[in-house]
Amino acid sequence: MKYEITRKEDFNSEDYLLEVRAPLVSERFRAGNFVVLLTHPKGERIPMSVLKAENDKISLIIKKLGKTSYELDTYEVGDSLEAVIGPLGNPIVVKEYGNVAVASDLVCGHAENYAASKALHEIDGNHVISIQTFPTKDLKYLEEELKSVSDEYHMTTTDGSYGTKGHYLDVLVQLLKEKKVDMIFAGGKISSLKELSDLIKPYGIPAMVTLRSIMVDGTGMCGSCRVYINGEMKLACIDGPMFEASMVDFDALLNATARFKEVETEAMKNYNKEAGGK
Amino acid sequence: MANIIKDRVSVSEQAVNQRVKNFDEVPLRYTEEEAVREAKRCLQCRNSPCTENCPVHVDVRGFVKLLAEGELKKAYLKVKEDSPIPGIVGRVCPQEHQCEGACLLGKMGDAVNIGKLEAFLADWAMENGVNEEFEIKEKEQKVAVIGTGPSGISCAVDLRKIGYKVTMFEALHKAGGVLQYGIPNFRLPKHIVDKELSYLETIGIEIRLDTVVGQSIPFDELRNTYDAVFIGTGAGAPIFLNIEGEKLNRLCSANEFLLRTNLMKAYDQKYDTPVILGKRVGVIGAGNVAMDAARCARRFGAEVHVLYRRTKEHSPARLEELHHALEEGINFKELVSPTRIVGEDGWVKGIELVKMKLGEPDKSGRPRPEKIEGTEFIMDLDTIIMALGTRPNRLFLSKTPELKTHKWGGIIVDDGLMTNIEGTTAGGDAVSGGATVIEAQGEGRQAAKTIHNYLSSKNQSPEEMQDEK
Repeated sequence: MKYEITRKEDFNSEDYLLEVRAPLVSERFRAGNFVVLLTHPKGERIPMSVLKAENDKISLIIKKLGKTSYELDTYEVGDSLEAVIGPLGNPIVVKEYGNVAVASDLVCGHAENYAASKALHEIDGNHVISIQTFPTKDLKYLEEELKSVSDEYHMTTTDGSYGTKGHYLDVLVQLLKEKKVDMIFAGGKISSLKELSDLIKPYGIPAMVTLRSIMVDGTGMCGSCRVYINGEMKLACIDGPMFEASMVDFDALLNATARFKEVETEAMKNYNKEAGGK
Repeated sequence: MANIIKDRVSVSEQAVNQRVKNFDEVPLRYTEEEAVREAKRCLQCRNSPCTENCPVHVDVRGFVKLLAEGELKKAYLKVKEDSPIPGIVGRVCPQEHQCEGACLLGKMGDAVNIGKLEAFLADWAMENGVNEEFEIKEKEQKVAVIGTGPSGISCAVDLRKIGYKVTMFEALHKAGGVLQYGIPNFRLPKHIVDKELSYLETIGIEIRLDTVVGQSIPFDELRNTYDAVFIGTGAGAPIFLNIEGEKLNRLCSANEFLLRTNLMKAYDQKYDTPVILGKRVGVIGAGNVAMDAARCARRFGAEVHVLYRRTKEHSPARLEELHHALEEGINFKELVSPTRIVGEDGWVKGIELVKMKLGEPDKSGRPRPEKIEGTEFIMDLDTIIMALGTRPNRLFLSKTPELKTHKWGGIIVDDGLMTNIEGTTAGGDAVSGGATVIEAQGEGRQAAKTIHNYLSSKNQSPEEMQDEK
């Protein structure tokens, strides 16, 4: 019962929260850190976003994307995971920035958004602007939680069914026009981060973006998560996962993160077959 | 020296056409009769050059004699005195450069097959439930060992036998370090690793998995909680060439390929971790890691080319691995060096190589490879695996800035392997950069001695010290 699941909550049909007992991670987790999780001995090691850490436990947000995340969804409270390793990666620098925008449009961004907003909100002098983007109203989550740790909150849906129609990038454009944004933290879809980087270039605003590349060990051993920062090879697991947006080679990263697409689709097909064509 | 038998008792092996389709161990081991017969070949040299040449000084003459007499249990216990994981080192040591390299018989014919004898005894003991019996006089002092690879294992075992409370910390979800993630199953079956490591827990060593020292637990906390520390974090960080095209997909480090294959068992359908290999795989480098990667790729069904800037006689790989690789149809492309990777739509499509020639010997004593200008050519490949060696992992070092290191990342130690931090020793690849399993074990033992001396002098009252004199 090493990494026991203590709570599970479905946010919607695609995203769910798992609270897991992981004292070592919980004790030292800071915004920006992530964990590597192994569901069972035959599973794969995958990096996961951490929402928060309290009392020996950590909360993870998981999106049903592939075999492991679907399989993990069959675990119930009281079941245990094979390994939860961390906290890994470098935490964000928590200090007074002034007006800080924190934006996200995918699971490995929303959890980070909450953790970062919360940490930054606790610093006097920060005006924290949290922005979330979801495809549609039914898929939104963390709205109330994020409102409670930010000074200003925006939600957008790409179909316009809730909040402002559009993307966090649209909100940022508006914010940049209206008032000063001193610092940006963003995570989620890499394609959005690339757009963000282009968007803010004329303004010269610093932006730290979370690069979720494919990892195996998460401790700097394999080089699977290598990213190119100002032309230099860095490892997202130990040098990141956050990097200054203007320095990132997004095209290389987009290419690298797509490399297992085919085998992932195949694995999902096989899993569905085994699970009785669910 | 009446009866010199020049030829060693041969070891049967899995047939080539069969073994390239599985990850099972290649050499089948000696039967008891064969092992005894092989042991009887030993000349019992008085000066035991074999022991001299062994980094942990296993009493080879002693255990081989006992084995020749059919005293299997005694022979096994003799090995265990100096070698805590004989089933492992019997399989992975480069014996031809160590014990067997010094064997007098080797000058007249084949050296005694010491490695296979050691592995035979370990397997025999495992199957027959034979264990060491010794009493541990408990001491109060606690030692932390960071890393559960070869150097950490021998350091931990030696200290535990003296009576210290030893806790080992492992970043991965399985113990064994390179034995677990690096060396493939067909060379070192993982049930052997698990079994020999379970011995550590049997004698009371605590192993904490999933614990990244520096991240999960700060180094300072370990130093404050434990009376002494051993750092055996290995050299797990991959090296890339920094040439054009390394961003392309289907190019990876040997570390990544081996981690996926060995630790995560990508070759087994029941495991979830994927490996993507095309039809033609190029492995750059020709050391043991390159051989491991090449032979794994072969078992995934690929056509494999080892691309090496020298010729295979100068390969640093263990002789048996080189021999097995060639048998398995791995193609050696000698005297070539990569200049850039060629891609298409984000994926590797080939490699540009330049021809090399051998020049004057360099520092390693091997001829220095020199570029022949203007001889670049392209070779079609789907996958490229970089097996260029490794360097110490930056993660741990970045969290311990007080620890003095060389520029390349190796930890600086004195002759006794003490670092600049009081009570903290280091050994294995974290210090040397890249050595063999048994050399790392030798350092682990040395560090254990240093820690014992340190803790003995630290905790003795002046009267006690007087008593010992």
